Amino acid sequence: MHSSASSTPPASASRRLQLASLLRERWDLVALGLLAIAPLVIPALGGALGGQVTTLFIYCILALGLNVMVGYTGLVHLGIAAFFGIGAYSMAILTVPMYPFQMGFAAAAVISTLLAAGVGLALGAPTLRLRGDYLAIVTLGFGEVVKVTLRNLEQITGGMKGLNPVPPPGAGVTLGGVDLGMAFAIDPRYFYYLSLIVLAGVVVAMRRLENSRLGRAWVAVREDELAASAMGISATRVKLSAFAMSSAVAGLAGCLYAASLSTTADPNAYDFNRSIMMLCAVILGGLGSIPGTLLGVAILVGFDTVLAPWADSWIQQMNINPTGSSLLSFSGWRLALFGLALVLVMRFRPAGLVPSRRLAAELHEGQT
Amino acid sequence: MNVRNKSIGWLAAVLAFELLAAGCRPADPTLVKIVSSLPRTGSAKQQSDTLVRGIRMAIEEVGEKVGPFRIEYIDLDDSTAAAGQWTSEAEAANARRALQDPDVCAYIGTFNSGAAKVSMPILNLGDLLMVSPANTAVGLTKPGLGAPGEPGVYRPTGRINYTRVVPADDLQGPLSADWAKKRGVKTVSILDDNEVYGKGLADLFDERCHEIGIEVLGHDSIDSKAQEFKSLMATIKALAPDLVYFGGTTQSKGGQLAKDMASAGITAILMVPDGCREQVFIDSAGAASLEGRCFVTFGGLPPEKLTGKGSEFVERYHKKFGEIPEAYAVYGYEAACVALRAIGDAGTKDRRTITDAALAIRDFDGALGRWSFDQNGDTTMRTLTVSAVKNGHFVFEEVLDANAQSSEGIAE
Amino acid sequence: MSVQFFLQQCLIGLTNGALIALVALGYTMVYGIIGLINFAHGDLIMLGACLALSLVTALGLATAGPTATWLGISLLIVLCGLFCGTLNVAVDRLVYKPLRSAPKLAPLVSAIGVSFIFMNMGLFWIGSADRAFPELLPSTNLLPMEGLQITWKDLLVVIVVVPLMVGLTLLVQMTRLGKAMRAVSQDQTAASLVGVDVDRVIAATFFIGGFLGGAASVIYGLYINTIGFQIGFQNGLYAFTAAVLGGIGSIPGAVLGGLVIGLVRSLSSAYVGERWTGAIVFAILIVILVFRPEGLLGRRTKEKV
Repeated sequence: MHSSASSTPPASASRRLQLASLLRERWDLVALGLLAIAPLVIPALGGALGGQVTTLFIYCILALGLNVMVGYTGLVHLGIAAFFGIGAYSMAILTVPMYPFQMGFAAAAVISTLLAAGVGLALGAPTLRLRGDYLAIVTLGFGEVVKVTLRNLEQITGGMKGLNPVPPPGAGVTLGGVDLGMAFAIDPRYFYYLSLIVLAGVVVAMRRLENSRLGRAWVAVREDELAASAMGISATRVKLSAFAMSSAVAGLAGCLYAASLSTTADPNAYDFNRSIMMLCAVILGGLGSIPGTLLGVAILVGFDTVLAPWADSWIQQMNINPTGSSLLSFSGWRLALFGLALVLVMRFRPAGLVPSRRLAAELHEGQT
Repeated sequence: MNVRNKSIGWLAAVLAFELLAAGCRPADPTLVKIVSSLPRTGSAKQQSDTLVRGIRMAIEEVGEKVGPFRIEYIDLDDSTAAAGQWTSEAEAANARRALQDPDVCAYIGTFNSGAAKVSMPILNLGDLLMVSPANTAVGLTKPGLGAPGEPGVYRPTGRINYTRVVPADDLQGPLSADWAKKRGVKTVSILDDNEVYGKGLADLFDERCHEIGIEVLGHDSIDSKAQEFKSLMATIKALAPDLVYFGGTTQSKGGQLAKDMASAGITAILMVPDGCREQVFIDSAGAASLEGRCFVTFGGLPPEKLTGKGSEFVERYHKKFGEIPEAYAVYGYEAACVALRAIGDAGTKDRRTITDAALAIRDFDGALGRWSFDQNGDTTMRTLTVSAVKNGHFVFEEVLDANAQSSEGIAE
Repeated sequence: MSVQFFLQQCLIGLTNGALIALVALGYTMVYGIIGLINFAHGDLIMLGACLALSLVTALGLATAGPTATWLGISLLIVLCGLFCGTLNVAVDRLVYKPLRSAPKLAPLVSAIGVSFIFMNMGLFWIGSADRAFPELLPSTNLLPMEGLQITWKDLLVVIVVVPLMVGLTLLVQMTRLGKAMRAVSQDQTAASLVGVDVDRVIAATFFIGGFLGGAASVIYGLYINTIGFQIGFQNGLYAFTAAVLGGIGSIPGAVLGGLVIGLVRSLSSAYVGERWTGAIVFAILIVILVFRPEGLLGRRTKEKV
């Protein structure tokens, strides 16, 4: 390697440049490729880790939905978890044995996604004229209302018990001698691939939206609502569409969540905490930036679901903490480390880890 | 642009780390792992601490060896820092992790009945033995008593892999009502924390009150994140019941409820279930709010009334940690003993064999007394005790005998 | 039910509301001046309550006589106020100040981060379980009737909250500092052009907001009588909602918002059911905001062009 590099420097340099530009331009394909082959080479992905990474993918989808509102359109949303929950519960109602519908996964997912979008429209229509933080508090309030309602309407939602069991996709379908439902239930790699495919689909859709007429209108409204309406953009309609799109994607993530856990979990899974976590992920990664959002989720959710349990069991195995003191366990410091990470990232990269290209271009333009 | 490249490098690094984080080792034929999945962060930490101490003591006492196997214990957390309590995802992740690690032969958990509903169907697929030290929701094991479809929905294979060493609420709820009746209570107000355990228990109590002719003046649920219940207590004061029943735990604001009840000037008896039977409950309520008016039911005998192996355990615990164990510590110990016994009886790492060995346990001479598992994996122990709060401590009152469906005091 | 019952519930609601309002002031002041939703404010109050608990234990107030108790409570309010005020200023210096020119949402995430750090500090300070705050004031009824109850605890809330609010209003309306605060909240650049030291005014605002939070933490401990490392969240949620409901940035608005939320909570608990209170409070909030988009007492701001 080294000798060839010194003998033909120009060719190697250009090759390296090519590789760099490939990484830069096609990072998505590289990442997708790596993630697609990962389960084949990393056996742990067939185990608990597979489930954790699946959850990570699902949160990525949720965060991409939130990004439409917060990143593209500039509307602070503090209740995205409510739409996540609406998706999950509608998925469950359409599929669990307790109800007469018992649809297949795909049909239920489509209906749930549309339902979430509809609820988003219904909430957005009367409240979109609110400005900034007033809209934020309305979304927060809506989130609380949904959570309390899910908890109290026991006859419909099962209350704190949640609805279960949500059958896995392909339950009862046999494909090439494999009972798909059973396979989904036992081997986490099936859900891994399913959510990876959905995530990839959402990323592609978001990309196309970003550069579409609608996507540009979102950004225009974010930058200057007055100027945008002067250009003939109907700010209300544009914001409403962002609201609906955001809710729909969150609902879709909810469907996958319920199916992968095989239960809706209890309504606390859809509380303010989750909304805040997603908002942090989107801002931390970089508003309006798709790779940023994905990175933000990978860091924040990964910290809690992957890194923290791993660090705790490592400390345990190393026998560093024989007395079980909370000062010496990782979980004792989790909150502080998490908080410190948020503070430091914002301190040194206030525009996020991967600022959106469009935003970066605008800033650059402003400087020259 | 350079910045973007670096960031993508980060993305790759973070993902790679997360993928490698849970690396796996080849299976070792002489190694057996026992995992527990309990809420180790947040408000239930104190209770889970005593449970884990109990588990560790059981494993240490056998010299970390059973038959040909070395025992390794892994203490998993089913709560997250962000939530401050157990979450479905953390519990599901723990269950999957245990299921996929061929060395894991027993799963001690969960603490919360709601969490058991998440992990039971997952662990059932691998026939992995589950021993819960604390779940009391009836639907987990008993056909016909829980929601429609329970407990079948937790057993996708149709086989049983779940056991518990603590009596279920079908004992605690109704017997509490019987006890109230015997005390001459005519009217009650029922509260619950709207969680699987607390609400289930309050509903059973409610039902029994109707059967035996105690008038239920009201039944409401509280939000366990609320800070105070002054309005609620003003309402209850206006209703003037003889007894207030709270189905819930210390973590779901049992202490605050008792405190606000006292400061509202309500003189009714307060009755709480085993989820509140820990010193923290008294500490958080303030001893004065509970003095002489608060009664706690508990499945099994309190630590100071244990005999035989149980009292030995209490003694060793006291020697080791310098304090009398909380009531639940012995259940952690017992659950671990059951797991060790099953592994020893089976003599193999085959999970089905171990689970069957556990289910076959009869006349187990443990710290809780002599008991067996029934056909549902429930303990046959049907002792329920009532304690009162006196001078800031739980003081044993009487044993409620479930089999006679009547209660008699025990001469002290 | 009876009139007495209704009055009792209103009384509880207003007392709770006054406490919420005191916390809400901290949100509304910081928001008014730098446009930041200070998510860490609730957790700051939690730390104040931890200090109050430690001080009560150290000073042995639980067994003191009545005069010593009232003196002790005054001392607690001052000490916890200073502690929270100073901590708030320090956090502003270290965390928010470098972000003054950053995108608007960056400090919001930092504030959430600070709130997590505070929670961890509280966890190490008082442990994970709820702790009882000693009952320094008796719960005996001061009214000579059965159905309606007012205790020293309820009076304490009023005795402390009303003067603090009047003092704050006077400070903002009458003093030089207050004038500077109003100037900075309208236009930072213009304020600095006419000689206002913007950084100092912001620090002063953080200090006053923190001081009020510290006072609130003592009252919280004495009135609710339980503290735990997670109380900041719910505290903050209702207080922040109160601030927005009243019109964020408006001081009388925060007070009105707090009282409205307190009342709605206790009346919905009494007449609808405790289990629905959370939903009703926020549903009413949404409805009010739909009809009054700037909050109850908020200024109608013009679109900036």
